[in-house]
Amino acid sequence: MLLEIHNLHATVSDKEILKGIDLEIAPGTVHAIMGPNGAGKSTLAAVLTGKPGYEITEGSIRFQGQDLLAMSPEERAWAGLFLSFQYPIEIPGVTITAFMKAAVNAKRKAQGLPEMKTADFLKLMKEKMAFVQMKPEFAKREVNVGFSGGEKKRNEIFQMALLDPSLSILDETDSGLDVDALKIVADGVNALRSPEKSAIIVTHYHKLLEYVQPQFVHVLKAGRIVKTGGRELIDAIESKGFDQF
Amino acid sequence: MGHGKYIAPPKGKYQVQAGEVLELQFVVLPGESRNQDLSIDLTGPGAQAHVKALYLSTYQEKVNLNFVVHHQAPGCKSTQLIKGIAGGSAQVQFHGTIVVAPDAQQTEAYQENHNIVLSESAKVDTQPQLEIYADDVKCSHGATVGRLNEDESFYMRSRGIPEQEAKILQMLSFLSPVIPQGREEELEKVVRAATRS
Repeated sequence: MLLEIHNLHATVSDKEILKGIDLEIAPGTVHAIMGPNGAGKSTLAAVLTGKPGYEITEGSIRFQGQDLLAMSPEERAWAGLFLSFQYPIEIPGVTITAFMKAAVNAKRKAQGLPEMKTADFLKLMKEKMAFVQMKPEFAKREVNVGFSGGEKKRNEIFQMALLDPSLSILDETDSGLDVDALKIVADGVNALRSPEKSAIIVTHYHKLLEYVQPQFVHVLKAGRIVKTGGRELIDAIESKGFDQF
Repeated sequence: MGHGKYIAPPKGKYQVQAGEVLELQFVVLPGESRNQDLSIDLTGPGAQAHVKALYLSTYQEKVNLNFVVHHQAPGCKSTQLIKGIAGGSAQVQFHGTIVVAPDAQQTEAYQENHNIVLSESAKVDTQPQLEIYADDVKCSHGATVGRLNEDESFYMRSRGIPEQEAKILQMLSFLSPVIPQGREEELEKVVRAATRS
C-alpha cells in the first residue's frame, strides 16, 4: 500500500474533527473524497501534510511503509507527498523560480544528490509551465502575489508537475474555477497518472471528477468515511445530496 | 551638497537645498549596537531626501534610530523606509518624526517602518510621529511589528523547503527592499549566519 490510514482521530483547538478515519490507497489509484462543508475534508488533507495546529489523538498513518506522523512537512514532501492548497499562500519577495529551485534542490540534497544545474532547472521549469499553460513571465513573478484564483490553482498544478509526487492530494482545487481552468487542472492530474502514482481529490462538486475519473469514491461526513464505492456514488450524490448517507 | 549617495554610517545632520536630492542608506548588522540620530532639513523648494535603513539584530544589541525630517520649503519630497528583524534579546527603538512647516505647501512625505520579531525576549518599539502645519500636503506613515508568517513557512515546507531555509527566504524577502544594491550576497551570508546562531 502507498498510504494506510488507520483509525485516525484529530483535533483542532480541542475540537475533534476527524473521528476515526480508515483509508487505504494503492499505487496507481485515484480516489475522490466527497462530503459536505465541515465534514473534515480539509482537516484530513492538512493532517496528511503535517500542517501545524492539528493534534492527532489516536490512530496511525503509514506512507510507503513509513510512519508519516513522525515526519516533518518537508520530509513528507521529499518522500513524494504533495498537497495542492485550497487557498494557495502568497509569498511576497520570493519568485516562483527561486521558490521551486529551493524546493527541487532541497529534495536532491536530502537524497544525497548535487544541486541541479541552473540551465537544466530552467528548462524543466519552462516545460512544466507550458504544460499547465502558464505564461513564461510567471517564472519571475512573486509566488501567488496578485494572481487570480485560476492562476493560483494553475500554479499549484505546475508545482505538482515539477515535483512529480507519488501521492498528490488536491484540496478543493476545482473550487472557483471556470471550465477551461478546470480542464487544465484535470489534464495535469491525468498526465501524472501511472501504475505507481496515486491521487486523492477532495471536492464537493462532481465536475472535476468527470475529467479525472477516480476508481474509488469515499463519502466523508462528520469526521468519518461513511460510504465507499465506485463512480456510481458521484451520481447518487449529484441527485440526492449527502443526506442519504 | 550635490546629488549622490552617502553610505552608512552617515553623519547626523543634513541640509538639503533647492533642487538637491539626498539619498541615505543605513545598515546595522548583527552584533552592532548603535545610536543613530538623523536630522534632515529640506530648506529649499523642490529638495528631496530618500532614506532606507536596515537592521538585523539577533543577539543583545541595543539599536536606537531617531530620525527627524523637517520640510521647511514648498514642493519638497521625502521618503523613509526602515525595515528590520530583531531576535535574541535585542532591543530596537525607532522614533521617526516628520515635520511640515506652515509654508511647506505641496509637500510629499512618506515613512514606513516594518519590524519582525523572532524571539520572545527581543523588543521593538516604534513611534512614528507627524507634525503638519501646512494644508496642501501628502503625508503617510505606517508602522508594523510582526512575526514571520507561519502560513508562508508551512507552504514552503510542504514543497520540501526545510524549515530553516524557509526562514532564511522569508527574512531575505522581507529585507530585500532595504538591502543596498551590490550587497545582496553579503546580506544573504549575514542572514544565514544569524539564523544558525
